Amino acid sequence: MNITLLIILCALVTFIPRVIPAIFMERLNFSPKFEKFLNLIPYTALAALICPGVLTVDPNLWYIGLIGAVIAGGLAWKKVPLGAIVILTVIVLVAVYLIVPFFPVLI
Amino acid sequence: MHGLRLGIPITFGYIPMGIGYAALAIKAGLTPFETVSMSVLIYAGAGQIMIATMLAQGATLFNIVLTSFVLNFRYFVMNTCIYNKVDDASLAVRIPSSHLAVDEAFAMFMLMEESSIWTYIGLAGIAWLSWIFGAIIGVIVLNVLPIIVANSFNISLYALFVALLVPAVKESKELAILVVITAILNVVLQFFIGNWSLIIAILLGALIGMYIVDDDTVLGDEYKAADETCSNKEVQQ
Repeated sequence: MNITLLIILCALVTFIPRVIPAIFMERLNFSPKFEKFLNLIPYTALAALICPGVLTVDPNLWYIGLIGAVIAGGLAWKKVPLGAIVILTVIVLVAVYLIVPFFPVLI
Repeated sequence: MHGLRLGIPITFGYIPMGIGYAALAIKAGLTPFETVSMSVLIYAGAGQIMIATMLAQGATLFNIVLTSFVLNFRYFVMNTCIYNKVDDASLAVRIPSSHLAVDEAFAMFMLMEESSIWTYIGLAGIAWLSWIFGAIIGVIVLNVLPIIVANSFNISLYALFVALLVPAVKESKELAILVVITAILNVVLQFFIGNWSLIIAILLGALIGMYIVDDDTVLGDEYKAADETCSNKEVQQ
């Protein structure tokens, strides 16, 4: 695939919706229904991005992603700040990777 | 300058997230230059991560571009609110600054008393720079990191996705159900339509959500407040 073309096209389809309201400052109207639909997209997008992708974080060890997701979910439940969640999850996974070789059953 | 300081909390999230994105992009086969270019030119957190994920899964160009459009279309709505709020500014300022719209900067600015476009540009601009900075650190550091650590960075984006979703799901049972439905839809659809499942699941999920999710629970508290600020402005006009 032509990656340069991909980047340019993705940049365009992202920039055009951003710039239109900036050019036409007068109010653009949406029906509340359409607005609700748009507001739901980030949630459904997150759901679809997580599942089943999280199970392929490490193609050789499917449960690595699952462990990470459970840890991140638990920390988020406890209202740990976003940046800390990301860093802590990575640290725990490094620990898991270090432990796994000692338990051949897990591999 | 004032805006720059206000944007600092955003940078704490964006730098590690930028590193995580770079890890994923490099894994997907992008060069360091392409990886950083995407952060500069596209500037869409989840959008870029999705591009890298879809590339790794072998999606077609058209499919990736279309999914980007759908996923990033919310910036249209956000900028409608932002440019309704700001004091009058020339087109030469408005056009380039529209590129800076992201969820976090939008929520922060809409909640503020201030309506100077320069405050907005300060806080949204530093968020953009920190996102690029994160990607640069990512492509440099990932080359020298031990493989175990680099592999562990792959989880960072999923950790972030989960962390973004959990507070919303905790608040609303309906939203939790919708998330599960969408996830199942995505898995099932993959068997029939392959890579198209992502975009179809996102759209179908949002459609289903219109019926099962309560109007009031669609937005988080900050977004709700931001949205009210936006509607108040409309009323005034």
